[in-house]
Amino acid sequence: MDRKPRILVVDDEPQITRVLRTSLFTHGYDVRTAADGVSALETFGDWHPDLVVTDLAMPDMDGLELCRRLRAVSQVPIIVLSAKGDERAKVGALDLGADDYVTKPFGIDELLARMRAALRRAAMAPAGEGPQSVLEAGDFRVDLEARSVGVGGADVHLTPKEFDLLVYFLRHAGKVLTHRTLLAAVWGGDYTEQSEYLRVFVGQLRKKIEPEPASPQYILTEPWIGYRFDPGA
Amino acid sequence: MTGKRITSYFIAALSIGVATTLLKSFGERANATTAALAFLLVVLFVATLRGSRPALLASVLGMLCFNFFFLPPTGTFTVADPDNWIALFAFLVVAMTAGQLSARARRRAEEAEAGRREIERLYRELREAFERASHAEALRRSERLKSALLDAVTHDIRTPLTSIKASVTTLLDEARAGTDGGGAHAIALDAESRRDMLEVIDEESDRLDRFVEGLIDLARIEAGEMQLRRRWGALDEIIAAALARAAPLTDGRRIAVETEDGLPVARVDPRAVAEVVYTLLDNAAKYSPPGTAIRIEARRGAGEMIEVAVEDEGPGVPPDLRERVFDKFFRATGGDASALRRPTGTGMGLAIARGIVEAHGGHIRIQAAAGGGARFVFTLPIGDDEETGEVLSDEES
Repeated sequence: MDRKPRILVVDDEPQITRVLRTSLFTHGYDVRTAADGVSALETFGDWHPDLVVTDLAMPDMDGLELCRRLRAVSQVPIIVLSAKGDERAKVGALDLGADDYVTKPFGIDELLARMRAALRRAAMAPAGEGPQSVLEAGDFRVDLEARSVGVGGADVHLTPKEFDLLVYFLRHAGKVLTHRTLLAAVWGGDYTEQSEYLRVFVGQLRKKIEPEPASPQYILTEPWIGYRFDPGA
Repeated sequence: MTGKRITSYFIAALSIGVATTLLKSFGERANATTAALAFLLVVLFVATLRGSRPALLASVLGMLCFNFFFLPPTGTFTVADPDNWIALFAFLVVAMTAGQLSARARRRAEEAEAGRREIERLYRELREAFERASHAEALRRSERLKSALLDAVTHDIRTPLTSIKASVTTLLDEARAGTDGGGAHAIALDAESRRDMLEVIDEESDRLDRFVEGLIDLARIEAGEMQLRRRWGALDEIIAAALARAAPLTDGRRIAVETEDGLPVARVDPRAVAEVVYTLLDNAAKYSPPGTAIRIEARRGAGEMIEVAVEDEGPGVPPDLRERVFDKFFRATGGDASALRRPTGTGMGLAIARGIVEAHGGHIRIQAAAGGGARFVFTLPIGDDEETGEVLSDEES
């Protein structure tokens, strides 16, 4: 990226936007702030930021609604700021397409790390949704036509559903995926409440791809929320 | 059950036997009429205590004994005089009827008693159920209160903490970058940014402190431990102090103060009353758009009271919320006021204000302002009732 990455920070707490503006600016980002969802959407339309960091609890248009509106027009990475204990709003935001979350209060390094990961992912994403026969990321190589999977050079045999699940994980590597999102993507909309299906299949998949299924390194559990896939170095 | 019935029949027979023996012991003095009446008495007695069937047995036995022992010729079951047949028959009918009637009366009484017991039981159950329900309701209410407290704590403690933590970690990053000679994400804050961060930390620490202070005040008021340091104070001075403190909040509002001429000084805790006025100003500024006016009035009210009003030109408080806004942690949100800035208070200010006013012996309430805004009015007694009382009792002793 030639220019500085543009970050839009949305929070109704002036002190938080003030700190983030200064801090992110110092870390080499171009920052704009908005105090509510409506002005955030305006700024988004005019300025085309590369990433949006938004609070969830805001007057008028809350973070959830903002996620929904942004997703309707853009694939911009969204990181939500949420309070501990506010799991429902957090899951709601992730379901609506937010990429990641940071729990308040947070250290600036944690936010920066999540931002870098989200920006990297956005940069790696294929420009067009063109047909891609081979997915390669980290330790994984998946041939979509042959439906073959290699983990660290070794072939792994997967059932069709396990294969679909892995492909979805690979395509959304690094992003927090809620139970709902995964169920809807792999099993279809009728199964979004059947999180035990998911647990069983994730367990089987881990046995096949993880060196130590008991302490997974690829499919990471986000407690109460879902999973995050890390393809490895 | 059968044992009890057999006992009843036994008692019936025994009673007749005893009555016959007694009557016979009186010898000739017990004539036929006395005997008949005595047997009737026994039948009634059995019917009342043991029910209709033992009474029936007693009637028949009574008739037989009457016939055998008292109707001439005695010692036989034969009846010589046809009149005595009538007497015998009349005795039997009266004994049976009386027995049945008294047994029925007894049954009715028992039924009534059973009904009463049933009603009592139902009443007890109902009361227990009601008590359980009200207990559950009280629990629910206290749970709601607890979760309101938790919500307030979540927001009001974590928000300043978030700003502080983000600032501190940014400053730490820079400090580490300095000592490490610059890492992968080395940054250099300029002096202005550094000061900005430190200011945020300073301000947000104060905000946390105010929140804790508010919690303590509230706890004191709720425990009835509000300590007032009363002295004679002028309301216009108190209002001026509150206005000075609220100046950053009321920026951009037109402030009009109107104090009645010759307003007497009042024995109040000036700091606490200034806090009330400040809270009302803060509230008015929060819920009314910039550029509007906030009016403060102080005048003499009815009955040795001073009345202070703070009025704004905001959307006003709907009648159904006029009591609730004084509840702790209650915050009016959204609604018609959506165009206004979000209330960022602690939800404790008005609860504390009410506590202070009531500790002084006054009242606080909300009225609709003439312009549609909110008008908070509170009253304060001019003198100090408590102290006057103490002086009086001193004089008496």
